[in-house]
Amino acid sequence: MTAVVAAPAAAAVKAPGRRSVVRRLARDPAALLASVFLAAVVLAALLAPWIAPYDPFYTDPSKGMRPPFEDAAYFFGTDAQGRDILSRLLYGTRLTLLMGLVALTMGGILGTAVGIVAAFYRRVDGLLMRVMDVLLSFPAILFGLAIAAITGPGLSPIIIALAIATVPLLARISRSSALVIMQQDYIDAARAVGLVDGAIIWRYLLPNCLSSIFVFSTLRFGQIILIGAALSFLGLGAQPPTAELGTMAANGRDFLFFAPHIATIPSLTIFAIVLAFNVLGDALRDILDPRLRY
Amino acid sequence: MGRHIVQRLLLSVPVLFGVLLIGFLLLQVVPTDPAVVLAGPMASQDIVDAIRRDLGLDEPLWYQFGLYIGRVLQGDLGKSIISNLGVAEELGRTLGPTIELLIACLIWAIPLGIAMGTVAAVFRGKLLDRIIMAFSVAGVSIPVFFLGLVLIWYVGYKLQLLPFTGRGGPLWSWDGIRHLILPAVTLGGVFVGPIARMTRTTVLEVLGADYVRTARAKGLTEPRVVVRHALRNALIPIVTLIGLQIGFLLGGAVVTETMFSWPGVGRLAVGAILSRDFPVAQGAIIVLALAFLLINLAVDVLYAFLDPRVQKR
Repeated sequence: MTAVVAAPAAAAVKAPGRRSVVRRLARDPAALLASVFLAAVVLAALLAPWIAPYDPFYTDPSKGMRPPFEDAAYFFGTDAQGRDILSRLLYGTRLTLLMGLVALTMGGILGTAVGIVAAFYRRVDGLLMRVMDVLLSFPAILFGLAIAAITGPGLSPIIIALAIATVPLLARISRSSALVIMQQDYIDAARAVGLVDGAIIWRYLLPNCLSSIFVFSTLRFGQIILIGAALSFLGLGAQPPTAELGTMAANGRDFLFFAPHIATIPSLTIFAIVLAFNVLGDALRDILDPRLRY
Repeated sequence: MGRHIVQRLLLSVPVLFGVLLIGFLLLQVVPTDPAVVLAGPMASQDIVDAIRRDLGLDEPLWYQFGLYIGRVLQGDLGKSIISNLGVAEELGRTLGPTIELLIACLIWAIPLGIAMGTVAAVFRGKLLDRIIMAFSVAGVSIPVFFLGLVLIWYVGYKLQLLPFTGRGGPLWSWDGIRHLILPAVTLGGVFVGPIARMTRTTVLEVLGADYVRTARAKGLTEPRVVVRHALRNALIPIVTLIGLQIGFLLGGAVVTETMFSWPGVGRLAVGAILSRDFPVAQGAIIVLALAFLLINLAVDVLYAFLDPRVQKR
């Protein structure tokens, strides 16, 4: 009982350690389930070339539109071209996760850099943040449409669009946590001992902002996957025959009435992955950074 | 309040500039030379050059950008490469259906989301709260096309209850309403979750405020405390947060329109991009961005209206 009462006070003094975060996550059944599921998904995506039963591009029209759960050889059935859906799902998850990860990393690094520079060098703060406000004024889907219109549909324009849309969000998050850290005594101390700006940022400012950035990124990852899949579904992302979850769903849409599983299985996979990320992100936020909760 | 709106309008100027720049760049990548197209295949190089001078195509890019802004401000967005119709004309036809869809979505999603969030906040930690929150986290996570596919397959195809392609006619006709239901349910379905989540947190914060304790202390009934004192004050941040979700809604509208062959701006944009019809694509993207700006502005004005503190400033 005392531990429960003491917890908020302790949290106010310092962020919980890594081990206690894992322990608290493990106590939340939904978060635990989400973590296990995501670990399995990531593992399956990584191992796709070894565990996929068939070549994801091998077509056999004579075996087209087999329903799922009937034939052990084609567990999720086949699509209209007779390709094995399970194999395509494994490769598709791999590509979808990679798309999200690359976009989040690109946007995250750039956004964090902008946010920290804005917090550290207050002279450029106003200008940088106004630019971020302008970027924030465009929804991600519009970036996607505009970039795909300029370059033509494809996976890279989608990734660039998602990264650009992520920059201002992470700039804001990292700036606000960097501003708090700038007030701390150890920053003054670092200046007093004569450390150069780069060293202060790299050793003291950045590491202390990472927990907010990490929590926000987890929450954002689900959104990125969702927007990326929607753009692919519209035909603006990865082009067929590439196995990507949104593209697979779009392909199945034409056969919705004869073989609904072709579209619903990849869609359900996206749903489950995003749901798991959101559940995990919510739990992480409550533990690491309750202030982010709005 | 007037000053507040003027300030917001001034803030929109750089955004507007960005939108126009993107539109302009889009037209720069057109693989065909507009002067050659206008002159026709038989024209001599002299004529092509003359037309190019006429259109200002031999001027530096920044000057062309100025000309472009002038044309757009006059409502001239060029002509479609495919249909040869004016882009402004094509856009004019699609704007109405998109607005119809957005209103039909918001009209049920916002009240339901706010009601769900409030109930969850009042019954915090109880089973009802858990169920509502599970629903809303699912709503935040579901791809809009998945919801659309399920509704098309089950309600449209299996049960044959409602049509799922195109617009049935004017909104006041029975057929018009029937065609609108499934798209509006699809788009609203992914919007209820975020609203419920935001409402719950905001109402929870307000329920802890001193004036709510005062309202309880003077013996008001619980529903009256919640609706008159808590929810009313929570509405201000909720409106702001809903405003922040407008981009999300617009993205959903693009997908929903494409799925249900709803003749709106989003479907026009996607079609134009896929068929490389650059003038239509730039026009549709400009209109979508403008719509986004205007909705945000409207939210800000509504915010000033709800919060007297902003009005006085």
